[in-house]
Amino acid sequence: MLRARSVTKSYGQDATRVTALRDASFDIRRGEFVLIVGASGSGKTTLLNMIGLLSSPTSGRVIIEGVDTTRLDSSGMAAFRNRRLGFVAQFANLLVDLTILENVMLPRQIAGGGWSRGGRPRRDALELLRSVGLEAQAAQRANKVSGGQAQRAAIARGLINRPSIVLADEPTGNLDSVSSESVVRLMKDTARRLNQTFVVVTHDREYFGEVDRVITVSDGRVYEEEEEDGRRAPGPGGRQGGAAAAAAATAPVVPAPAPTAARQREVLP
Amino acid sequence: MGYRPRLAKRMLFNRRGSLIGAVLAVTIGILVIHVNFVIFQGLYDAIVRDIGDYRTGDIIVTDEDSFITKSELAVASWFERNPSVEAVAPRISASAEINITKSGRLIEETRVPVVGVDPYRDIKASTVHTTVSDGSYVFARNSVVLGTNVARDLGGATVGDSIKLMVVDRWGEEQIRRLVVSGIASSPGGQGFDYSAVMHIHTLRDMMARDGETGSFMVKMADEGQAAAVRDLFLRSFPSDDFVAETIEEASEEQLQGFRSGIAMINMIGYFGMMSSAFAIVTIQMMIVNGKTREIGILRALGARRRDVLVIFIMQGMLIGAIGAGVGTAAGLSYTFYAKETKMSFNNSLPLEVSYDWAKILQTALMSFALAILASLYPSYRATRLVPVEAMRAV
Repeated sequence: MLRARSVTKSYGQDATRVTALRDASFDIRRGEFVLIVGASGSGKTTLLNMIGLLSSPTSGRVIIEGVDTTRLDSSGMAAFRNRRLGFVAQFANLLVDLTILENVMLPRQIAGGGWSRGGRPRRDALELLRSVGLEAQAAQRANKVSGGQAQRAAIARGLINRPSIVLADEPTGNLDSVSSESVVRLMKDTARRLNQTFVVVTHDREYFGEVDRVITVSDGRVYEEEEEDGRRAPGPGGRQGGAAAAAAATAPVVPAPAPTAARQREVLP
Repeated sequence: MGYRPRLAKRMLFNRRGSLIGAVLAVTIGILVIHVNFVIFQGLYDAIVRDIGDYRTGDIIVTDEDSFITKSELAVASWFERNPSVEAVAPRISASAEINITKSGRLIEETRVPVVGVDPYRDIKASTVHTTVSDGSYVFARNSVVLGTNVARDLGGATVGDSIKLMVVDRWGEEQIRRLVVSGIASSPGGQGFDYSAVMHIHTLRDMMARDGETGSFMVKMADEGQAAAVRDLFLRSFPSDDFVAETIEEASEEQLQGFRSGIAMINMIGYFGMMSSAFAIVTIQMMIVNGKTREIGILRALGARRRDVLVIFIMQGMLIGAIGAGVGTAAGLSYTFYAKETKMSFNNSLPLEVSYDWAKILQTALMSFALAILASLYPSYRATRLVPVEAMRAV
């Protein structure tokens, strides 16, 4: 599903050059729940941003579902982010001008869905809000809900387009312990139910309990990659993860968005 | 509604201060244009109105060289047969010396323009008679109406005073008549006869030794739009005479040219005002973009293309333009309505000729709308250049 090959990210030039990530190579399989851990400034968010197509590597390749994302132009990356990736950030990053429901619907709108009452995007968004326990807050403005609720809404938003991978950057970093546990539980349940791949950058390793794999980043190097049961991860082109494979047959709660003309046109290299 | 207009609207309306500021900028720009139009175009139109009402009518007929020798009746009848013509009035002009004895003291005024009118025809073709604020018009042959400034210069001549008026006739002889002041004329705006004297045309013709001759005919149209056509027809009908027939615009061209330049300059100032509104919008839109950096980053992270961000902020410009144009036009029309209803005067004297120029009103509104959109282009472009990952870090 995701292959990172010799991914390097540097900033500045010559004497002022700083390498935030060096020669990172790893694979993530469909349905895996992967943690990226490391000290502050180790390069884990840089790594997530490159997986999330929010920044481009200086060298190396990030291949997601067979698409070499480093070859996409700005519009191609935007379309890819919209349809294949879901984002959950530390501060939820909801748009305060919209309601919770509208925030959840937004990626679908960007993909070309309508706002109409009773339309599929709205039904799907409501279904997701129900699944994250926020149906009652659907009509509230995004700045009127608690941090935990906002993060739940962000998870729902990240799932609306049925993405290949949901990327979460410190999703519990701004929450109290009760909300953190609740958000982690929600992500793990969702991963299991939908066979959804999650890649989570976190400092709060203890909240996550058992996960499929942990990738450790230190001083810009991905030097450790292990499965939770202690086995080494397989090399590129690896197999289906254990917990994910078991959940693969589970029917998705969220129906896949109807194919649009743009989606049909999308030819992946 | 797609997400872009919805988001554009929400982002703008949730920042009321910015919205009000931007709308005010457009509104003030439009209001300046409207106020300029009401005052300066109103002033121009008032002057044209007064020139027409007091001096030329809608068409003025003169002789190429000197005085019109064709019979007054023939010319007047020709015009009066035309249904587009309301009235025709003959006039003759000269320069006079006037003296008066007040309290045993002789006061003399030289080179006073004096106009001879047929009072019965003149009151149909002109409104000079309405400027006689004290006394009556020159219905009697031995009467004279003095302009208020002439009366003042004659030591405060009043109705009932007797004056001596001297003109030089066509043979170079001085002709003197004693006339009774029947009225004092006063009109604001400088186009009336405040510096002149008005007397009966027969008396003046007699003094000038120009029996049956006429200086000019002022023609008042029932349908002003037909003035040029009637003038052309008149000139074709009298090909062998040396008539000069001009519409009011042609006759006053020289006099009005200066005013037109002035109005054009004032309008330029108005449009510059509108341009500064556009700069205000640029500033406000930039503030909105800066305030929405994080949101722009989120949108981009969620897959919005640069084009989508551009459209969102241009739509905000359209909203500002539409609301500003609407409010500005409403405010401008209210001011115009007020000016018209209260018969607003320039400098508390000349009543402005206030009109609704719908083409100009529409043009101003559309221009403001277009300027607001143009002013949004740069901030919108700046918004598209934000890097999502950096934009999302903004708090």
